[in-house]
Amino acid sequence: MVAHIVGLKLLLLRNGLRRSTLQRVGMVLGALYGLGVLVAVLSGLIALRFELPSDVARTVITIGGSAVTLGWMVMPIFAFGADETLDPARFSTMAVPLRQLVLGLLLSSMVGVPALVTAVLGLATVITWSRSVLALVVAPVAAVVAVLTCVALSRVISTAFSAISRNRRTRESVPVVMVLLSVGLWVVGSSIMDRLATPGLLRRITDVLGWTPLGLAWSAPADIVDGAVGSGLLRLSLAVIVLVLALFAWKSLLRGALENPRGVSGGSPASRDAGLGWFGRVPATPTGAVAARSLIAWRRDPRYVTSGALMILIPLGLLLPTLTGRGSFWTLAMAPAAGFMLGWSTHNDIAYDGTAFWGHVSTGVSGRADRVGRLAPTAMAASVLLPGYATVACLLTGRWSYWPALLGIGLGFLLSGFGVASVMSALQPLPAPGPGENPFGAPPGSSALTVVTQAVAGAAVFVLNLPLLAIGVGALLGRVWMSWLCLGLGVVLGSAAFLFGTWWGSRIYERRAPELLATLSRIR
Amino acid sequence: MGSREASAALSLQGLSKAYGSTLAVDRLDLEVPRGSFFGLVGPNGAGKTTTLSMATGLLRPDAGTAHVLGHDVWSDTAHAKRLVGILPDGLRLFDRLTGLQLICYSGLLRGMNRGVVTERAHELLGALGLADAGGTLVVDYSAGMSKKISLACALIHAPRLLVLDEPFEAVDPISASTIRQILEGYAASGGTVILSSHVMDLVQRLCDRVAIVAGGEIRAVGTLEEVRSGMTLEERFVHLVGGATDVGEGLSWLRTSSD
Repeated sequence: MVAHIVGLKLLLLRNGLRRSTLQRVGMVLGALYGLGVLVAVLSGLIALRFELPSDVARTVITIGGSAVTLGWMVMPIFAFGADETLDPARFSTMAVPLRQLVLGLLLSSMVGVPALVTAVLGLATVITWSRSVLALVVAPVAAVVAVLTCVALSRVISTAFSAISRNRRTRESVPVVMVLLSVGLWVVGSSIMDRLATPGLLRRITDVLGWTPLGLAWSAPADIVDGAVGSGLLRLSLAVIVLVLALFAWKSLLRGALENPRGVSGGSPASRDAGLGWFGRVPATPTGAVAARSLIAWRRDPRYVTSGALMILIPLGLLLPTLTGRGSFWTLAMAPAAGFMLGWSTHNDIAYDGTAFWGHVSTGVSGRADRVGRLAPTAMAASVLLPGYATVACLLTGRWSYWPALLGIGLGFLLSGFGVASVMSALQPLPAPGPGENPFGAPPGSSALTVVTQAVAGAAVFVLNLPLLAIGVGALLGRVWMSWLCLGLGVVLGSAAFLFGTWWGSRIYERRAPELLATLSRIR
Repeated sequence: MGSREASAALSLQGLSKAYGSTLAVDRLDLEVPRGSFFGLVGPNGAGKTTTLSMATGLLRPDAGTAHVLGHDVWSDTAHAKRLVGILPDGLRLFDRLTGLQLICYSGLLRGMNRGVVTERAHELLGALGLADAGGTLVVDYSAGMSKKISLACALIHAPRLLVLDEPFEAVDPISASTIRQILEGYAASGGTVILSSHVMDLVQRLCDRVAIVAGGEIRAVGTLEEVRSGMTLEERFVHLVGGATDVGEGLSWLRTSSD
């Protein structure tokens, strides 16, 4: 039975790759990248073997190992719904003994790139610690415990998480919470990075992490190498206890999932909204209708809500250097950054419709209405955010002469981004999470492809605005007339790129709408 | 354009579509006269959905033409699409909209006046028994409610031809009878309905003309009486399509009474 479950996972992995050539290319690129990282870290771990004293090795492996373990715990939440094929609830109709199911699911979690990489790195630490006979005995055990703990904790989190998220509302609010959480973590992380130079800080972090469930197994061999045999064995035993506890917790969660596969959802209270909403407020034209539909999606669809939250929060992050007293240069970039992100954010918008896009094809809506309508939510956000952020930046720096330049660059980025997005989203929909799915999830193998496309789109917007940026530098050097020139040019160049982009995008759309729909049916 | 194409509500000629090496629809010809209630029946994978998608402008055919009331679907697209209302099978809806918003969306996308759209949308919701659900998000609808709301979207612009792919699948009997009444009223007033289904009983009761499709080809077409040729539609269908296995003495271990 255990072999069957592992076999099932292998089969799923293989069948997943059979879907399209593009996905396979993406998978290969992803694997190559992972391999590069792996080789780099591996050589680092081996180099640490010859580094004296062993303090460096202890610090690196404890902090790195804890981070990896934490990553395993967070991953199932970010990747939630991406791979539900081995969702325990699906086994509920088959009478698989719980013990075998636990073992089978645990081992099948070991199949896959992340687990393989973690295992290789875990075993590589054995080389780092190969400084004494006793260490050579303890290190492999600790490594196995550490890797298994990663997988077990990850399963605990994902099973617990799938239990609470059967309800649509709960499930869909999770991504937004995750975004806020990540921003919080980022702020904490960057303030730690700022203080890294403080003597003894790394040491203190190592000491604390080494006694938490995250770092116990990773730091046990370090004690042995340093001659603190008692403390090392204590850590190792505690690490084993953590692993056993995690497995027990998972087993009982699994039992819950099997006995109550549909969760406790007594039917979530349906969302209601009487009246027409945005449909009553927009101009009664096809363009207006598309705009209203997009505006509603940006408010109700978690995929849009999360990216909207990020687009508001990331420019705010540029406030940090000023607030922590490290110069205000980056804060000036708030409005341009917001314009840049908002501009081309809709470059894969049709893919977000999924096959619901048939509604546009069947009604024969014009390319122009489809292209322009979709830009309404980001345009509305930009009309508040760009002047707002430019004002904040000027308030903090006291340099009001920059204001027209900041707004001008922001508008240039925004409008030319609209143009680029209008063309790109009509060209080829890229695999995207479906409505109601995890906004961070993407079909396997698609991420490398998406990264390449986004890089191209981002670079296109950047290149289009190079003249504007050059004048912006002049404005920063104190030439007020250049600041105003920047605003004027931003509007003119941006509008030109916008008009051309929407015109070209409309033509492509009208020629290819049925083909776009066919692609959407295939990738979902 | 021949007079035949102009007089028919839907005229398909030599329609073909291949997915890779599989031929889904193979040089298919079909005439659906105006005012008829036309049933397209066939086993799973017969090419019904592919045919209807090509006939309505959702899927570009590899070869062949489709005309709606004399307008070529693939060259006179805008005109043809104005005359057709469709309910596809297995495609999503913009499910973050409420039912009322979704119907209005279909109307406004077609450039209709907001007052007319809102009035008709409320009437449609009432007629389909969705008056209370108009403010609920479509994502929270049941399968049957989703079918009904799709039908409302297909009707909002008062099309001359309705193309419905599996309109009764996953629909409860009460909703089914509501849908049937609406369709019968529509056909009685001169509209043309084409529906695909594999529920023979229903097709036999509703439709006056039938085509049996299998393997991407038409196996029989004509009035219900012609196609049935004395049998029930189901018997005739199994006879034409074949492949029904005679269970006979197999599966004997399934007969619990034997022990």
